[in-house]
Amino acid sequence: MRALFTFIYCIFISIHLIAQPPTPGKPQVKAVALVGGTAHLGNGQVIENAIIAFENGKLTIVASAATANFDRSGYDIIDVSGKHIYPGLIAPNTRLGLDEVSAVRATRDFSEVGGINPNVRSLIAYNTDSELIPTTRANGVLIAQVVPQGGLVTGTSALVKLDAWNWEDAAVKEDGIHLNWPAMFVAGGIWYDPEPIKKNEGHPKILDELSRTFADALAYSQVKNPSPANLKLESMRGLFDGSKNLYIHANYGKEIIEGVQFAKIHGVKKVVIMGGEDAWMVVDFLKENNVAVIVSELHRLPTRPEDDVDLPFKLPAMLSKAGILVGLSYPGETKNYTNLAFMAGTAAGYGLSKEEALTLVTANNAKILGIDNQAGTLEKGKDATLVVSSGDLLDMRTNDVTYAFIQGRQIVLDNKHKRLFKRFDEKYSTK
Amino acid sequence: MNKKFLLLGGLLLLKVHLFAQVTFPRNGVYDQRSRMYAFTNATLHTDYQTTLEKATLLIKDGLIEAAGANLQVPNGYVKVDLQGNHIYPGLIDLHTFYSMPEVPKPAPKNGPQMESAKKGPYSWNQSIRPETNASEQYKLNAKEAEEMRSLGFGTVLSHIPDGIARGSATLITLHEGLENEATLKQKAAAWYSFNKGSSTQDYPTSLMGAIALLRQTYLDADWYKKGGSAKEQNLSLEAFNQLQNLPQFFEVSDKLNVLRADKLGDEFGIQYIIKGAGDEYQRIAEIKATNASLVIPVNFPNALTVDDPQDVVMIPIADMKHWELAPANPAALAKAGITFSLTSSGLKDKKDFWNNVRKAIQYGLPDNEALKALTYTPAHLIKADNQLGSLKKGMLANFIITSDNLFSEQNTIYENWVQGYKYVVNQLPVTDIRGVYDLRVGGQTGMKLLVSGKAGNPEFAVQAGKDTLKVKATRSASNLLTLAYSPDKKSKKGENRLSGWIEDKTLKGEGITAEGTPVKWVATYSEAFKQAIPAKKDSAAKADVASLGKVTYPFNAFGVDTKLSAENIIIKNAMVWTNEKEGKLDNTDVLIQNGKIAKVGKNLSLAGARTIDGTGKHLTAGIIDEHSHIGISNGVNEMAQAVTAEVRIGDVVNSEDINIYRQLAGGVVASQLLHGSANPIGGQSALIKLKWGASPEEMKIPNADGYIKFALGENVKQANWGEAYGIRFPQTRMGVEQVFMDAFTRAKEYEQAMKAYNSSKNKIGTPPRRDLELEALVEILNNKRFITCHSYVQSEINMLLHVADSMGFKVNTFTHILEGYKVADKMKAHGVGGSTFSDWWAYKMEVQDAIPYNAALMHKVGVTTAINSDDAEMGRRLNQEAGKTVKYGGVSEEEALKMVTLNPAKLLHLDNRMGSIKPGKDADIVLWSDHPLSIYARAEKTFVDGILYYDLERDIKLREELKAERNRIVRKMMDAKNGGAAAESPALKKTQIWHCEDIGGIEE
Repeated sequence: MRALFTFIYCIFISIHLIAQPPTPGKPQVKAVALVGGTAHLGNGQVIENAIIAFENGKLTIVASAATANFDRSGYDIIDVSGKHIYPGLIAPNTRLGLDEVSAVRATRDFSEVGGINPNVRSLIAYNTDSELIPTTRANGVLIAQVVPQGGLVTGTSALVKLDAWNWEDAAVKEDGIHLNWPAMFVAGGIWYDPEPIKKNEGHPKILDELSRTFADALAYSQVKNPSPANLKLESMRGLFDGSKNLYIHANYGKEIIEGVQFAKIHGVKKVVIMGGEDAWMVVDFLKENNVAVIVSELHRLPTRPEDDVDLPFKLPAMLSKAGILVGLSYPGETKNYTNLAFMAGTAAGYGLSKEEALTLVTANNAKILGIDNQAGTLEKGKDATLVVSSGDLLDMRTNDVTYAFIQGRQIVLDNKHKRLFKRFDEKYSTK
Repeated sequence: MNKKFLLLGGLLLLKVHLFAQVTFPRNGVYDQRSRMYAFTNATLHTDYQTTLEKATLLIKDGLIEAAGANLQVPNGYVKVDLQGNHIYPGLIDLHTFYSMPEVPKPAPKNGPQMESAKKGPYSWNQSIRPETNASEQYKLNAKEAEEMRSLGFGTVLSHIPDGIARGSATLITLHEGLENEATLKQKAAAWYSFNKGSSTQDYPTSLMGAIALLRQTYLDADWYKKGGSAKEQNLSLEAFNQLQNLPQFFEVSDKLNVLRADKLGDEFGIQYIIKGAGDEYQRIAEIKATNASLVIPVNFPNALTVDDPQDVVMIPIADMKHWELAPANPAALAKAGITFSLTSSGLKDKKDFWNNVRKAIQYGLPDNEALKALTYTPAHLIKADNQLGSLKKGMLANFIITSDNLFSEQNTIYENWVQGYKYVVNQLPVTDIRGVYDLRVGGQTGMKLLVSGKAGNPEFAVQAGKDTLKVKATRSASNLLTLAYSPDKKSKKGENRLSGWIEDKTLKGEGITAEGTPVKWVATYSEAFKQAIPAKKDSAAKADVASLGKVTYPFNAFGVDTKLSAENIIIKNAMVWTNEKEGKLDNTDVLIQNGKIAKVGKNLSLAGARTIDGTGKHLTAGIIDEHSHIGISNGVNEMAQAVTAEVRIGDVVNSEDINIYRQLAGGVVASQLLHGSANPIGGQSALIKLKWGASPEEMKIPNADGYIKFALGENVKQANWGEAYGIRFPQTRMGVEQVFMDAFTRAKEYEQAMKAYNSSKNKIGTPPRRDLELEALVEILNNKRFITCHSYVQSEINMLLHVADSMGFKVNTFTHILEGYKVADKMKAHGVGGSTFSDWWAYKMEVQDAIPYNAALMHKVGVTTAINSDDAEMGRRLNQEAGKTVKYGGVSEEEALKMVTLNPAKLLHLDNRMGSIKPGKDADIVLWSDHPLSIYARAEKTFVDGILYYDLERDIKLREELKAERNRIVRKMMDAKNGGAAAESPALKKTQIWHCEDIGGIEE
């Protein structure tokens, strides 16, 4: 048995030796200006023939060439004429850096045992050397939320920059705690012979357990040096002073209502709904309670046969038009995250303008996740975290990222896919 | 003390009486009787279409001696004057498990069980149990007998509902005597199903596996008969053969399985009698075309609880509509001229039987059809119409005595005679005393006594002045009567209590008034009672059949109630992506005529053709998904064995899957429905066009080549199935190769043996056993079946090419083929195509080197390259996935589009009729709102064979209609619930979405 483990270990060693994620970008030393491009600011505005300049990692000029009095000296000038500039996209609800080969248990670090784990932190397990990070950013994603999954209260998520030597460098902030809302309906039967979904009889009991945890945590947070100390309750303090979000993962309309009311009753200051497949059923409730929704992947099937075939595609538009703050994610398998831009593209195909759709994955995600002071839009004073694409970033037909910067550091856009492509393209080209 | 003895003696007498078989010794004095009874003055229904008034039925020794009007009753008969009461033939239920043991549920297990756990020389498969004889396990269950008799049944066909071949059923009466006496036929029929029942063995894990297993069993049994028994003794096959001359019954779970069972029977020259599920009206034309007779339940669903408007969303429209339409199923069958019998099986409470039969009648089933379905038809189907189902000389004395028309709500079943033995259901009144009487109580006159309700259980009321006073009454079998009522409505002083007897049409006796005064009373018959049925009830008697919702095809959301047909259409002025050498043609017209593309050009016109403006839009060939698992019933993997070439997706195409519609909305027109990837050699594919609303058979592409799924790598070696799955060979890529070598070696030997035998002059000796698995492999060797092989890493791709070369076959397509880019040159040399994902990777070990540039590299080398979905969701935006090949590797846009249209058509050998916009090809085309590779493009119109199966405008209309239909049924359910009907909590049936690696929670 030990021999087998050694053997497996060796395999992984060798993989790591082969794999070479690109070296993180060097800190910005000289001011950079992107000129001639079309800037999509992420807040709905577009600047044609723009000058986007940044220094020491911060944006210094975001303006039209026509109006700006711009002196080129002192800048590294990058001509991006005909190209498009966007804020780096923000991908909520990922397990990036926690899941390398999903089917191989040794490489899965995203689901802890136990039902209530608010104290479990994704940040300290985030692997900056994951091969998936360079492929994720290849299409414009530069910031991700890394979320523990599994159980009821799954843990504390972190926002990370997708280019770093280690998780300390990567950290933007630890932003909140995640709660998988207990289902009201559960499936029966076995996989090849599913029985009708039934009401979850265990629902009240689970709710009761959750209630006790949240009530205890609120009481605990009101004491300065509680004894005995409790790691779980301690980790929940931020929910009651507004420094952390409570992300309630819920899809069904009544679950959303139940979850939001639960959070309010228990003194949670900031609540975000994650998923929200059926949020269209409860728009008035969400609006009245000022609750934002980060919609899960649009590339999914409608929940029910009777749903409009395009219901998932038009959900962001339905919620946005009702005045709800909407973000967008592409959770689930690690291969999905790189396609986040196309989720926004889909929303644009179904009821939103392209600029409105862009805000979902930039300004809105930043605002909901609590980093709009530094990311999400191209505005003077914010981080120079941005991408340049030869064409429309939101359409796979035209998405072609040629430059990316995180806090002014230029990112090497190479990745495993490109390396293998190059190798075999050369093989067949020389034949 | 004496009385007790008498009572006991009475019981003993009864016992002796019932104990009357020839070979059985008896204790005491023999007491043999001829049981001769004459029932006179009866309304005699001798069969479902003949009624004789004032008729006589003579029975003797358990058989009918005579039945008719104007019969003389010879001496020696006990006379029973029925005074107009009805006699019907005893009812027959063909689908029962009466007096049979419970079938054990298989315990959940972890890990494989590849071999049968049954002891003895029986079938290799535990679910093949033809050796089971219900008769041998028949142990009288008096409670069940009484329950069935109380409904009017006298005879049942009973079997043990366990397994795919279930063995023989026994035809027995519901007489509570010895099993020997009640048995009419020990082996009366054989039963089959698609359900493996108590079998703990893995195979089959899928519906298509069950079908293949039964097909192979027919072949094995035939081989056994022709000499195979010399090579292998097999009690199951022996029994299987012995049952073949009996009526063959097949139990299925839904309408599509009716079609599947019938098709299976056709192959072996067998016309099954099919026990359906009650949803046959949803595919009535196809079911009629099977010519099968049916056994149909009346277990109509209850209304659902619909109080919560959010929870209502959870109820599938199909369930809602079925609730409304199920009671009309028997009427629909009768109208279509389908032979069917009714069964009480499936009812949660058997007491609902008559309510539901009456409901079926209210929904349009004629009375005589109902009676036929309960008497003549079942007797005929079980080949016992010389004994059962009507009342003629020499037939069994099985009949029921009822107060009224059997189907009337007023009816009471009094007695159920079985084999000449009397069983009382309700006491037969000596006289029917219903009527209006002049009542005198002591000195009080001018009152009326009203006797109404059922003859067997009349209701009494006293009319005094304007008051109608309720009467509590008891009436004994010996015609004694007790009545009690308050003298007037407001009275609190007590009741008048009357005791008396019935004498002809006069009721009389003595009593005590509320005040305590003794009185004499008499009620004299004045006139017949006019059943004052409340007007409300009268209208409820016939359901408003015209207002019922329409049956849609398929029976699901967005189904259509009238069949769509091909139109002649000119699409004007579009950007036409021809996929031919002409390339993209701007501002061009396309004429579709008779389901084909007729012309491509400018300024086209045709008289009578509809014009669609394509200005600013793009027209392309329809998308073809080379790798799909939509539209499949009950399992995509037959995963119990490493080689399952015998199973066929074509047997389990599911025309009702909503994903067919959703994919049309994504511009998909055709799909290869593939077996999963759990085995090195999986099952045979079905190639279908997405003809929404058509039947499974209509969807199949005619004359398409046969395909089969192969698979390599982690799935077939069960690498991700958990610790328990380390038993099945192969567990390594080394073993996978040997599975192929072995299978094709056997296939070659098989082919030779078959050829040798078939070409031998005298065909001496046992013919080789036909083997469905090897037959499919022989087809591959002979270029009659083509391989789509699930594959990931380069070593295994290379391996299969070597196996193919050494065994003399070609691999047609590698599917997924995520490392195809590493061996593209070898693929090109072998002439094999690649059908891949655009950008999937990372989820398991064998996709670590998967890159989104794969398609571009294979294409560059010259491999015919397609992009597939393997996923119901991705399948509806394959155009976008093709768009990614422009981004990853710089494929030209026209070539990119071909990867989801013309190239899959080539891989499926359909490019001579599909895949491009060229005159003469099938009109499978899509009109897009935008550039077809763009994320912003929507399929606005999707044509298949010239029929507009998806139209965005119509879709929007259908959405509104769907909402209205739901609201209508919700209101109706609420009415039903408020009217006192039973209601159930809503339940949402999750649509099963298959991926090729679905084996129980493990995906991809």
